[in-house]
Amino acid sequence: MNEEPLFEIGADGVDAAEVVRAIHERVARKRAEGVYNDIRIAQAEKNNLDYLQNEETLADLYLETLRDAVYIDINDFAIHEQRRIAAPMLVGLKKTIWKLLKFYTYRLWSQQNQVNGLLLSAIENMEQRYRRKISELEKKVAELEKKNG
Amino acid sequence: MAKVKKVAFVAPRLAEGQAAGGAETLLFNLARRTAAEGLDVTFLTTCAVDHFTWKNERPAGSSRRDGLNVQCFPVNEDRRLERFSEIQARISRGVHVSAEEEAFWLEHNVNSRELLAHLQNAGEQYDRIILGPYLFGLIYHAALIHPKKSLLVPCLHDEPFAYLPSFSSLFNTVRGCLFNTEPERDLAEQLYDLPEGNPVVGMGIEDVDSSGIDSIRGRLGHTAPYVLYCGRREQMKGTPLLLDYVNLFRLRTGQDIRLVLTGSGPVNPPPELLPYVTDLGFVAEADKRAVMEGALAFIHPSLHESLSIVLLESWLAETPALVHSGGRVLRHQCLRANGGMWFGSYPEFEESLLVLAGQPQLRNTMGKSGREYVLREYSWQTVMQRLLDALEK
Repeated sequence: MNEEPLFEIGADGVDAAEVVRAIHERVARKRAEGVYNDIRIAQAEKNNLDYLQNEETLADLYLETLRDAVYIDINDFAIHEQRRIAAPMLVGLKKTIWKLLKFYTYRLWSQQNQVNGLLLSAIENMEQRYRRKISELEKKVAELEKKNG
Repeated sequence: MAKVKKVAFVAPRLAEGQAAGGAETLLFNLARRTAAEGLDVTFLTTCAVDHFTWKNERPAGSSRRDGLNVQCFPVNEDRRLERFSEIQARISRGVHVSAEEEAFWLEHNVNSRELLAHLQNAGEQYDRIILGPYLFGLIYHAALIHPKKSLLVPCLHDEPFAYLPSFSSLFNTVRGCLFNTEPERDLAEQLYDLPEGNPVVGMGIEDVDSSGIDSIRGRLGHTAPYVLYCGRREQMKGTPLLLDYVNLFRLRTGQDIRLVLTGSGPVNPPPELLPYVTDLGFVAEADKRAVMEGALAFIHPSLHESLSIVLLESWLAETPALVHSGGRVLRHQCLRANGGMWFGSYPEFEESLLVLAGQPQLRNTMGKSGREYVLREYSWQTVMQRLLDALEK
């Protein structure tokens, strides 16, 4: 995870807003690269979502977390065995079981991924629609208030 | 020529020892410093020590402490706690309560009939009465006895209690408010439609001598880099979130960064984080300064702060801060001081901590910038000038 330093510190010191902006850009880039597609993040964010329940940023954070966690990884993965005794045999057995199960689970999980993706799109769509509506209403209220002095 | 000569301060508890909260500490320190300026200061408070039980543990009556006349009065013992707690739980969930229930909640909140009687009978002798924090029945009722002399130190957060109509009326009835920060004042103006011009006063932060990191190494039990949290450990302060984030940071990045905590309340880390968490509990000021100096960053995940004394103390120790972006006051302080960063989600937390751990020059510059900010804005000389101006206004 070592990367190039984000900033050169000048004689005038540091601008915290600039540092945070650069961090957010880096996070956005990594998010697009799938660095945060990690179910453990979704679990850790549960506390943050509970904590932020009265905050305006809740919906944004919820959707971001959902986007990162929405697709289950159903591809093949390396199969290991930590027990030393009969390790090659156990690995072989696990690979066979995986091949047998894959026939069934691949179909199941790919359908689940489709459902998750559709649900996410629906929620995003609804959120955008309501946001737009609220913004239009706020504009109208402001205009009316202006009109009435 | 100063008009104000005699001042009373009112707080629910006396800040003495380690159990006091930030608001009580703030009021007591303001009272001490006001007395040191040559004014006649009386500190009115209750006999309670514990902020859960509110049992009358101190003897009632007057005493001299730090140049102040301190008068302790008993907390009412006939509070109907069952119904009070039931209403309080509903308010804190954001459920609407009736005017009658709100009045009951204020009546059976922490109150002291004897303290209120003292203000009714002898309140005329004071030129100003400074009271806080806003959330207590005692402060609500006391402020309304001589509202034209009363200055509220609200320590206001954006929380369901702040939306009760009684508090809107309180803020609009008193002579004025003394806020801790600009975002707190903005919130009050927005919630209660207050006129502009209420001053930001805050509290002076003293530059204490450090006992040195070597003196606490034994208690830390390691020499690994660590992040620090100081204060109460509870859901409202965001400590469960901090524990989850630090645990995940260690698992995902493989960096051996530990967590050190001081203060009170239970710490329940996930099992895999347990060996990497050090709970120092209450520590002496010199040790707190040392543990702050040694930290990679001071992390404050709370959304509900009106000042945060520990954040300012960590800056005096030249340690940068990492705060939750939902905490408006803490984010504002980091922005003004250029002394820290803020995160709103785990990825932002991870990236910020990686930057702080990987860029010592940035860390040092932010720490130094934080210190300069505290010395500039929160020296006692600056704070007392703001307070004395507000008293005369």
